[in-house]
Amino acid sequence: MSGVPILKAEQMRKHYPGVQALDGVDFELWPGEVRALIGKNGAGKSTFVKILSGATHADSGTLAIEGKPSVIRTPHDAFASGIATVYQEMSLVMGLTVAENILLGRWPRRSRLGVQVIDKPGTVEAAGQALEMMGVKLNPREIVRRLSVPERQMVEIAKALAFKPKVLILDEPTSSLPAHEVDALLALVRRLAERGVAVIYVSHRLQELPRVADSLTVFRDGRQVGTVPIREASPERIVQMMIGGEWKKSRAAARQASSRVRLAVRGLERRHHLHGVSFDLHEGEVLGIAGLLGSGRTELLRAIFGLDSLDAGTISVDGKQVSRPTPMRMKALGVGMTPEDRKGQGLVSVLSVAKNLTLSCLDRVSRNSVISLRAERALAGTMVEALSIRTPGLAVQARALSGGNQQKLVIGKWLNSQVKVLLMDEPTRGIDIEAKNQVYELVRSLASRGISVIFVSSEIDEVLEVSDRVLVLNRGSIAADVPSSEVDLEKVLGIAMSTEEGQPKE
Amino acid sequence: MKTQQREAASVTRTAAGADGRVRGFRGFLGRSGLLGALILLFAILAIVAPNFLSARNMFNVLRQVSFVGIIACGMTMALIGAEVDLSVGSVVALTSALLGVLCVKLGWPIIPAIVVCLVEATLVGLFAGFIRVRWDIPGLIVTIAMMLSLRGMAFVLTNAFPIPITNDAFGFLGGGYIVGIPFPAIVFLTTMALFGFISTRTVYGRSVYAVGGNSEATRLSGIPVTRVRITIFGTTGLLAAISGVLLTSRLSSGYAGVGVGWEFDTISAVIIGGTSLFGGEGSMFGTLLGVLFIGLLGNGMVLLGVNPYLQDVARGVIILAAVLLSAFQRPKASA
Repeated sequence: MSGVPILKAEQMRKHYPGVQALDGVDFELWPGEVRALIGKNGAGKSTFVKILSGATHADSGTLAIEGKPSVIRTPHDAFASGIATVYQEMSLVMGLTVAENILLGRWPRRSRLGVQVIDKPGTVEAAGQALEMMGVKLNPREIVRRLSVPERQMVEIAKALAFKPKVLILDEPTSSLPAHEVDALLALVRRLAERGVAVIYVSHRLQELPRVADSLTVFRDGRQVGTVPIREASPERIVQMMIGGEWKKSRAAARQASSRVRLAVRGLERRHHLHGVSFDLHEGEVLGIAGLLGSGRTELLRAIFGLDSLDAGTISVDGKQVSRPTPMRMKALGVGMTPEDRKGQGLVSVLSVAKNLTLSCLDRVSRNSVISLRAERALAGTMVEALSIRTPGLAVQARALSGGNQQKLVIGKWLNSQVKVLLMDEPTRGIDIEAKNQVYELVRSLASRGISVIFVSSEIDEVLEVSDRVLVLNRGSIAADVPSSEVDLEKVLGIAMSTEEGQPKE
Repeated sequence: MKTQQREAASVTRTAAGADGRVRGFRGFLGRSGLLGALILLFAILAIVAPNFLSARNMFNVLRQVSFVGIIACGMTMALIGAEVDLSVGSVVALTSALLGVLCVKLGWPIIPAIVVCLVEATLVGLFAGFIRVRWDIPGLIVTIAMMLSLRGMAFVLTNAFPIPITNDAFGFLGGGYIVGIPFPAIVFLTTMALFGFISTRTVYGRSVYAVGGNSEATRLSGIPVTRVRITIFGTTGLLAAISGVLLTSRLSSGYAGVGVGWEFDTISAVIIGGTSLFGGEGSMFGTLLGVLFIGLLGNGMVLLGVNPYLQDVARGVIILAAVLLSAFQRPKASA
């Protein structure tokens, strides 16, 4: 260990409208150290990683690399300073070879008849060396599209290593990997550390941290709340640091759910995503689904709504089995879904508020396929009032509305089509606190009117707050199915992060 | 932390909210701008071009624009639905050739021959739509392939010779008048009115806008997106065939060489009429204005004796100007 930290950040601050994402973060990293970085969603770890990688920049604070003050404004600055980041989302060009991807944009060249051409053998050789250094057996000439997801992840890391970084940031590197591939990745990280590369390892999987990290830093509410050697970090202590003392008890009034089953899901299987998921959803019940990123939350809703195909399992609505679910069939059975990606999948933003509100119930405002504009305005107007959607008018394009009001449009669309079951994927994502509370109230009032709701969220506190019952998903399996009054944030988080329960069946 | 990012994004979007209305207003300006340009063009031509205002010339213009105008109704639906059909010119040619073969070489009565042509073109369109949705191939590519092979088929059918069709009743379709108005113009204006109604007032029309605006959100709303897309191509096929029948009547011959470049003429008219190339936005009224604008401009330039090559230059400039206008009105993708 040399006398200066490889990376030293002081008093980093970053403000987003409505949120102080980073509130004075101090951080030190030494050469050859593997530092685990954890925290709840919104704790500030992603923002911190983005600042280090040049994807965004801090409002204030200083950064020193090997003791020298540095400024990182762009991803290029980050590479130049020796910081390479591997994101969860892949950034590979599918149609190019492994070698071309690893050296993307920096292909060795040679002169041919006075023209600079890419030196293909040189590219293959350089990439081959990088892969060999990692101890990965991959053909540099293979097209990336033909690789498995874990193999692509290796290429992604090789690409980062090709910059010969001093600091490597891995953001949830194992979230898409099966167990045996995880071992290979952890071993690789250790090898890199031995060679003096400092690694920031962002992960939710507590169990794998002792095997790879030297130390662990916890973020909470935009602050670094503590850094401890890994042997002192018991899961209990980590969870306590993550949630602090401020979590509030769930507020959901324990209600007696109806015994009538609206939606019955049995043994849902989808390779790599869902493993034998079964549950019942009762009339007027709010069923919360908690789980970490990649635990299968979204996949479960998509499978029920017929967006992804199933390998096995059945879905029944009101006792009748749905043979092959599609959005159209599910709608006809009274099931609606508000997707996670509101802008990309929920709204038609160029259409008006009124048209969005009637999109899934055109049959209600039309006769013989001819739309009655008056009926449409009436229906849309009623919903705008019922959900207190703030809009300058019914004819305004949906994209002019704020996030919270857009979310209400998507919900209102399904209420207009008189659904009995509403699947809500991250309905409060990206909307402000006031709108969030309105969504919670809305969900509760839907339930009291007999509508059954599945409420998926990455924020466990809000799942507990709004739901009658909570399913905890862990790697595609149900790890717990309990009334929300019987659990608290700490317990749910523990179940969601544990690797003992809910091992994928392979 | 994504949450906050999106929050930030949503705030920006809110800020653009007022902007959204401004854009709507500018869209209106754009359309009334086109109406203004049309009136201005009309006034200038009335003053400078000899015989421009004569009833004969007016009806000639109306008849001339009708052939492309009928197809433009279907093309407007296609572009609103974020699709495009490049095969329409070739469908016109195949219709013409097939009509000649059926009526003259095979001696069929005219009405069954027309019906067969219309059905055939509709099926071909539906087929293109099926290929497009079944294998998720861009409609552009599918219809380029159609464009080539249908025209080729038309030439094969007729050995590349025009087939004269002499039938007075048939001649009425392209050349006749009803209360002084050319019959093709009546078909055009009727089609326009019908599609104006379909696009704004029917479930199908609304679905086309929704699919073009955001196909995934539309699918998630339980709307049969694939059926809508296939219907779009069936419609352009049918309308191109109707136009082909009228044109064949007008020319009194079935010929595989007609309709060359019509796909671009129709698309230009639709774009000038303010329909978004990206889907989800557009109107039949705009297309009507676009069709008339191009028609009047062409007619005026002919009357003024403008060099024909220069006429093409002028058309190109106007299309570019219209597309730029629509690009400026469109919000940045990052917004």
